[in-house]
Amino acid sequence: MDVRFEAVTKQFGPTMALDGVDLRLNAGEHVLLAGANGAGKSTLLRLLTGLTGPSTGQVRIDGQDPRQSEAVRQHIGLLSHQILLYENLTAFENLSFFAQLYGLDLNIESTLQRVGLGAQAHFLVGGFSRGMKQRLALARATLHEPQLLLLDEPFTGLDRRAAHQLGQELTQRARQPDTMSVLVTHNVTEAAQIATRVVLLRRGRVVHEQGWQHDRASQELQDLCDRHLED
Amino acid sequence: MTSSFVGHTGALLRKDLVAEWRSKERLSPMVFFVLLVLLVYNFGFELGGAALWEIGAGVLWSSFVFASLFGLQRTFTAETANDCLDALLVAPIPRASLYLAKMVGNLVFLLLVETITLPLFGLFFNLTPGWYLLSLPVVFLLGSACVSSVGTLFAAMAGHSRLREFFLPLLVLPILIPALISCVEATALILEGAAPGRSGLWWPEEMTVHIAMLGVYCLVFTTLSLMLFDFVIEE
Repeated sequence: MDVRFEAVTKQFGPTMALDGVDLRLNAGEHVLLAGANGAGKSTLLRLLTGLTGPSTGQVRIDGQDPRQSEAVRQHIGLLSHQILLYENLTAFENLSFFAQLYGLDLNIESTLQRVGLGAQAHFLVGGFSRGMKQRLALARATLHEPQLLLLDEPFTGLDRRAAHQLGQELTQRARQPDTMSVLVTHNVTEAAQIATRVVLLRRGRVVHEQGWQHDRASQELQDLCDRHLED
Repeated sequence: MTSSFVGHTGALLRKDLVAEWRSKERLSPMVFFVLLVLLVYNFGFELGGAALWEIGAGVLWSSFVFASLFGLQRTFTAETANDCLDALLVAPIPRASLYLAKMVGNLVFLLLVETITLPLFGLFFNLTPGWYLLSLPVVFLLGSACVSSVGTLFAAMAGHSRLREFFLPLLVLPILIPALISCVEATALILEGAAPGRSGLWWPEEMTVHIAMLGVYCLVFTTLSLMLFDFVIEE
């Protein structure tokens, strides 16, 4: 997959959330988008999902506008700090419903077992713990084996153990060939394990980008962010 | 393409019906509201006799339309909780299928409310059963489809606003006026069949124009809504 931002701006009333972003993301890359609150990270992610369009400029995935192309959206998965699941449906019903939307014929029971929720398959999601909900959300986001996984603060609200478990699952996924992900998070420990490239945003502009190796310490990543993002 | 559109619409509709079956959060207030209105009118006007065909249609439709607002306001509530709407909009489905599923869902809920409360209307207001009532379902089906068609589009528009409870009636009710006039006129023509000395035809001749009006209104607004929904639902 080939992702391009060409001179993208996004304005919300008087606020310029993104200001002339030019960015190219290549297949196999796992990109950490870092920046302070309001830097434009989530806006950039929403542009990729096609949930919103740019004010000016273009966002293209494989040459197509994700808002217009169902074929492109077929290859996008979204995992957010919100679970994007229906709490008055069971885990099984939630995954079955999304499988239908993606035109998949899956064994939902075994999918749930894989994320450790086999025993809770027919329980309402509203009764799940935050960690269980996020594991189910990951199962939903990856149900269709997306080539591009968009992760918007996926560790928010998780305790250290649950965050580490989710981080491991995402790292495992990031090691698979032909996958690509864009991660927005303040959890540098987990991000350092997943990312192969770091893009730093400040006030809607890309201020720094560089490659990243998994074996580098998370403190180095924190220092890199602090160096480029502090006022 | 067509089969997947129908499949996606069916999946979305089924999901909403299952969720509503569990929570009854839309049906309960709608049914209770209509019952309350019928009771108030029953005690207030001593209906039956002449009053039935004079104001019965107005009583029915005003209670159904205001009750429908309870349901319409909750059309996208399940989607905004936990940002589920984002998951639906990222999914590779035509957004029109989301509109159609929500519209049919609202229609089903409104028809259910009507089915539950109409016998009680008959009971409270001494409505004499007869063949003349056979055309009533046609009026209610078309009238409810008009309300659902317009209401679902505006519910999506008002859904972004924190003041949706305030905006939705302001947006929906004025646009519904032509359809409501036809609904009330057609229902009144049917209820006149209960008047003494009336033959009680199962399809009064004058009703055709109102049914045609409702059919055209529903077709036009559903088509327009399907075309506009992409723009309405986007941020």
